Order: sequence, then structure tokens, then C-alpha cells
Amino acid sequence: MTHRTGWIIAVLLVGPALTGGAMAVAQDSQFGIRGLGTPGRWESVRSRTTGGAFGPFDPLSPLMEASLADIGQLTATAAGGTSNRDVLVGGTATSLRATRFPLMGVAGPVARRLAVSVGFTTYLDKSWDVTLRDSFMLRGVLQRYTDEITSDGSVADIRIAAASRLTRRIALGAGLHVLAGSTRMTAERQFDDSTFHRVQQSAEVRYDGLGVSGSVLIGVAPGLTIAGWARRDNRLRAKVADTTSAVTDLPLMAGGGVLFAPSPSARLGASVAWRSWSKAGADAFDTWTWSAGAEFGSRRMPIRLGARGGQMPFGPGTEAPTEVAGSLGTGRAFAQGRALIDLGLERLERRGGGLTERVWTVLVGITVRP
Amino acid sequence: MIRRRLALVGAVLLVAACVERLAAPGHCPDYCPTGQITVVDTLLTTSINRDSSYRGYVLAYQSPLMLAANLPGATDTLDGRPIFRMNGYGARFRISTVDTSTGPILGADSARLQLYVVRRDTATHNLRLQLYRLPITIDTSTTFGSVAAPFTDSLLRTVNIDTLLAQPGRKDSVTGDSAVVDTANHRVVLSLKLDTAAARYIAADSGTVAYGIRIAADTLASIAFGKDAFGPALQWYLRVDSLGMPVARTPGALGARLASFVFAPPPAPLDSTLAVGGVPSTRSLLRVAFPKVIRDSAQIIRATLFLVPAVAARGAPADSFVIEARSVFADFGAKSPIDLRLSDTTVIHVGATDTVKIEVTNLLQAWAADSTHPTVLVLLPEREAQLFGEIRFYPSVAAAFRPTLQVTFVRRFPFGVP
Repeated sequence: MTHRTGWIIAVLLVGPALTGGAMAVAQDSQFGIRGLGTPGRWESVRSRTTGGAFGPFDPLSPLMEASLADIGQLTATAAGGTSNRDVLVGGTATSLRATRFPLMGVAGPVARRLAVSVGFTTYLDKSWDVTLRDSFMLRGVLQRYTDEITSDGSVADIRIAAASRLTRRIALGAGLHVLAGSTRMTAERQFDDSTFHRVQQSAEVRYDGLGVSGSVLIGVAPGLTIAGWARRDNRLRAKVADTTSAVTDLPLMAGGGVLFAPSPSARLGASVAWRSWSKAGADAFDTWTWSAGAEFGSRRMPIRLGARGGQMPFGPGTEAPTEVAGSLGTGRAFAQGRALIDLGLERLERRGGGLTERVWTVLVGITVRP
Repeated sequence: MIRRRLALVGAVLLVAACVERLAAPGHCPDYCPTGQITVVDTLLTTSINRDSSYRGYVLAYQSPLMLAANLPGATDTLDGRPIFRMNGYGARFRISTVDTSTGPILGADSARLQLYVVRRDTATHNLRLQLYRLPITIDTSTTFGSVAAPFTDSLLRTVNIDTLLAQPGRKDSVTGDSAVVDTANHRVVLSLKLDTAAARYIAADSGTVAYGIRIAADTLASIAFGKDAFGPALQWYLRVDSLGMPVARTPGALGARLASFVFAPPPAPLDSTLAVGGVPSTRSLLRVAFPKVIRDSAQIIRATLFLVPAVAARGAPADSFVIEARSVFADFGAKSPIDLRLSDTTVIHVGATDTVKIEVTNLLQAWAADSTHPTVLVLLPEREAQLFGEIRFYPSVAAAFRPTLQVTFVRRFPFGVP
């Protein structure tokens, strides 16, 4: 496959995102209903199965740009996942299911010391469906009704990034982020009394925003690398029928990580991140998240495992909800390493404000190096 | 082989995984959207103005039914009498089917008159039908008074319909009358035999005959006869002169060329009230000042028009009638073209004085969807001139009892607000 053909495949993979036609969504959560949504995880399947610990060092994870410097050759990747989520609140349990494609991107060197990447990932997932049974006095009679309010869509983070290895030890990267997306929202009310017609309203809410990010990768010693990154997004503007309905400040983010490779068949990593989500309005909190993970075996078919934890940015009450997850995965290289399939399984638990979510997620990632 | 099976299993799993299930019970306010559906209920007491009534849309002879009634009231009796006329075959009739030779019609041995009763109250007992001969000069302008005399002195037959229906086979072997009950279409077909005296074929009148019907019953004497395809039909049994020899001929049955009905008392003149129904049919126009706040930015989920009767609804007690509210394509007053696409209806019970409520949600939703649509309501009977029922409502000038609209609407949902 030629270099040109590879770029064509890459454009086909990423093109839909750039035209706004992509449906990039992460793992939903009830905690995101009252807030801006559920933040996405900017990780490839490989990183995610290490708990996210490898995210800063993985050139195919859109968390950092500096790691792109070591990409070596043109690479395209995509990820998909199916989640089965049990929501327990108020003594009731509900089983939910969703399939998402949270990541797609292409990256490759364009000069001797310069690599670029374009792709998208989920910035905020905004898909949910809430049903509600209630009653109120109307025309002197207690009217019972059923509400269903839905939101289907997301805000995608379309990233154009570049990285350069300045020295053997230091690589720098920077990225421009275009936040774009839409949600199809509906609000319906069905009265038990059929003389009241069904309430049915819908709108397409479009979102936009901008962000910049920068990152650095430093080789401290042979086999030991540290990373640092920061990102600033301006605001998320919501528009309904060309009228701005809301403008919400977006957080400043920063994080770092360490990767230790004591041998070619063992890699250990850890990372931490901070996000100032509290500026996004009421019921929003600044969050800390951590992760730790490892990858063992050859790169042809490694075994990965990881754990992560931290806080969720949106939730009721005075304390941020928390989440903790464990993950396990593997990968398989084909065609002399030109094609890779990554598989992962994640178990996640979120708690806060009387609500508990338990999630099983099956992850599949495909990477092509033409 | 194994790879193919794995691919197949993978494809099946992928399809199964794509089934979305996101609906979860809301636990508000913590896990519900901040925006809520806001319902507003408002009573528009002064939004209906410039209302008026118009009469004469459907006249008695234009009605698809002939109404018969005899309903004593407190002050007068509602008396409806069908009248119809059949033209005859002329003075001569063909002798043979193989040539065109004709002979003078000498007279009729008998005739058989078929009538369709298309509406009757099964609670009516001892229903009697009286057939009268009327002048053949009756026409669409014939009034109750102009045929009062023949309805007094020209009785031809009296038939007790209940008795006839109770006969074996619904046939009266003495009179020759019979009846067929069509339970599917709720019709009774009466076939009345007219003897030589009753069936007079007068050649000088070209055989034209006219009849009228009065009915009576113990109570609730109110029925309707069909017209046109279900109208009166007369089968003559003629005697025709064939070279000095009278021969019998049975031509095809004749339908009524005129079918109408006369009634008393005549409808009360229109006044400032909003009249709906009656014969000739009456309609009322109500012009609505539709608030922009509702029209432009809300979804109407219920709208109710309240009308206070000025007098009790009139008509045959058993014949409750339906009035409908419709919109118009353009406001040309009495000649406003009615929009037949949407209507809202309610049933009016004769004698009732309760406030009438008509759900007009469909109409107001149409107004909200099309800002060019005139916001005019027309009240009209669902079956114009097919019932005697008429109701009169207080108009907008009667401040205490004026028509009002109660509108329940939902404000625009705050989409996009976190």
C-alpha cells in the first residue's frame, strides 16, 4: 500500500468527523444529565485497557500531542465499544445499553522531525433518555402524565496536532481543538386524559467551541519517560435554530504521567489529571483522576491491565461523584504489524448523590499502518 | 473455515451490540434535565368578538332527508310533513315491446308506493303513518300553510308501522302492505298498496301525483324518510286501451321529482344570539383574537370553546344533534368558505340549557401552524337541515355569558440549556 493510499484511507476514516457527520460518543452516565454531559475519555483501546495510564505516551490516544513525535509511520485508528450499564437509584435498577465509536484518527510523519495528526474523539457525551411519571392539577382535575425527555448526540473534539522530537530526550507537541457537535433533543408528555393532546417538541442543538493544548515528553533515563500536558478550551456555545441558548465556560486541564519500561516485554505506567470543571456552572466540580496500568509480553500480542479512579464533574449535592474502574485487554498484530486489533474489557463503578452505576464495557480497536 | 465462523460470530455480536437502550426512569430533580415541560392554562374571556348568525345554507328541499314529526310542546306542536311529487307516463303508453304503437291510458288498477324510513326512534310506540293526496302544483316554495287543507281532507291511507312490523313476514295480507327491515343500515322499507281509489292515474295530468305524509305516535313521533336513491318510488299497475281492449301494463317504478318537507312552527327569526342548526340551517361565525404569545411560541394541547345557551335547545326530544366547529379559508362573513379538513364536534341534547363545551384543539393547532389562516370559528350543524334541532347561544355582547376559550398550552422547551 502506498503512502498516498494510506492518506486516502485516513481521510475516509476521519473525514466524517471533520464535516460534522460523525457520531462520536463516549460512555454515557446519568451524572451528566443535569450538567454539560459526560466527558469522553481521550484514549485508544490500548491505553484504556491500561486504565488510561498509557494515554500520555500513546501516539494514537488524543490526550497528548508530544507522543506523536515517535509515531514513525502513517497510522490510522478507530475504536468502538458496547456498554451494559446498571443504574441503581431510589431503590430501582435499570439496565441500559449503548454502542459508541469514541475515537477515530490518523497520524504520521510529514517531515524528519515533524509528525501531525488529525482525528476526533468525544469531548462530551450527551445521549440520555429520561422518563418520568407524575401528576399535577390542571383545569381543576388531577392530571397524570408521562414525560420523556431525550437527548441524542455529543460534542466531538476534532483535533489537529503536531509534534516534534527536539532532542533524543525531549519531544514537544501542540494541538488545536475544534469542538463541534449536535444533539437531537425531544420533550414529550403524554397525559392519561386523552383530551389533552400529546406534547411533542424537538430541536437540534448545535455546539461549538475552541481549544488549544500543549504537551511535553521527557526521557529521564533509559526506559523511563515522563509526560506533562495542559489544555485550555474557551467555552461551549449551544445554539438552537441559530439562536444562542447557552454559553458555558469550559475547564482548564492539566496532567502528567510516567512510563517505565524495565524490559522490552514489560511496561508500567501511571498518570494523573486535573480539570477545572467547576467553572461550568452549578452542580459542577473540579476533578482529579488517576490511573495505573501495565502491558506485558511482546508487542505482537501483549496482555494489558489497569485501574483508574477519580471524580466525575457533574452531580447533585456538595461532593463530586466518584468512579473507579478496572480493565483488562490484549492486542493482536497482523500482516507484519501493519494491522492491529485491540480488545478490552472494563468494569466501572460510579457513585454519588444516591446513585450507583455499574458498567461493563467491551472495547474493540482497529489500527492500520499502511 | 474457523476464521469464517469467527467472522460470522463477530458480525452477529456486532449487530446485537448495536441495540440501544437508553431510557431510564427519571429521579428528579437530581437526575433529570434542568428544563421541564411547562404547561399553562388560560381563559380567554374577551378574545371572541364580532360574532353573528346567518340562516339559509341548506333549505328543506335541499336536505337529503324528508323530516316527519308530530311533537307536542309546551306552547306549540312541532309538525313536520314530507311532501313529494311523481311525474307520470303521460296520457298514452306503449302497447307492445316489439313496436312503437301506443294506446291511451285508461287508468290504474292499483299502485304500490315504496318509502324508506332511514331514521326512527325504536322507543317510539304505535307509530302511524297517514298518506295524503296533495295538489300536483307543490314545489320547492310550498309552505306548511299552503298545503294545510289537503292535509286535512285528502287522506288516502293510514298505516300502523308497528303493527305492520309485527305481522308474520312483515306483510299485511288484508291491506297488501309489507315492510323490510334492513338491520345493517338501520332502514325500514315500506311498501304500501294503493287501490284504484287511492291510485288515481289522471291522464289529463300526465299521471302526475303528489302525496304528503303525516305521522303520529304515542310519544316521540319523529322519523326521517330517504330521498333520491332511497326516496319514494311509485309502481303503477295501469290499464291501457289496445284497439278497444283494456290490457294491463306494469311500467317501471317512478321516483319522486320533488321531495321536500314542510313544517310548523316556522323557525324563530334570528336575533343577536348565536343560532346553530334548524331548518333552513343556521350557522354562526365567531371571530377570535388569537394571542400571539400562544400562536407563535407555544404548543396548544387543549382548547375548549365554552358557549352558554340563551334558550334551551329546540327540536325533536329524541333527536339530539351534533354541532361542529370549523375554521374558514377566508373571512367573508356569511359566505366564508369553510375549511373542511378539520372539525371539532359536540352533541347537543334537546331541552338542555347546560353550558356547551366544544374541544377546538385541532382548529387552534392549525391556526398556530399557519399564521395566515383566519382565526374564525364557524359553528354549524353536522347534518344541516336533516334535523329540526336548533340551539342559540349568548353572543359576545352579553358580557356575563359571552363565548370564551380556555386554552392549555406548553411553552417552548428550553432546549440547549444545561
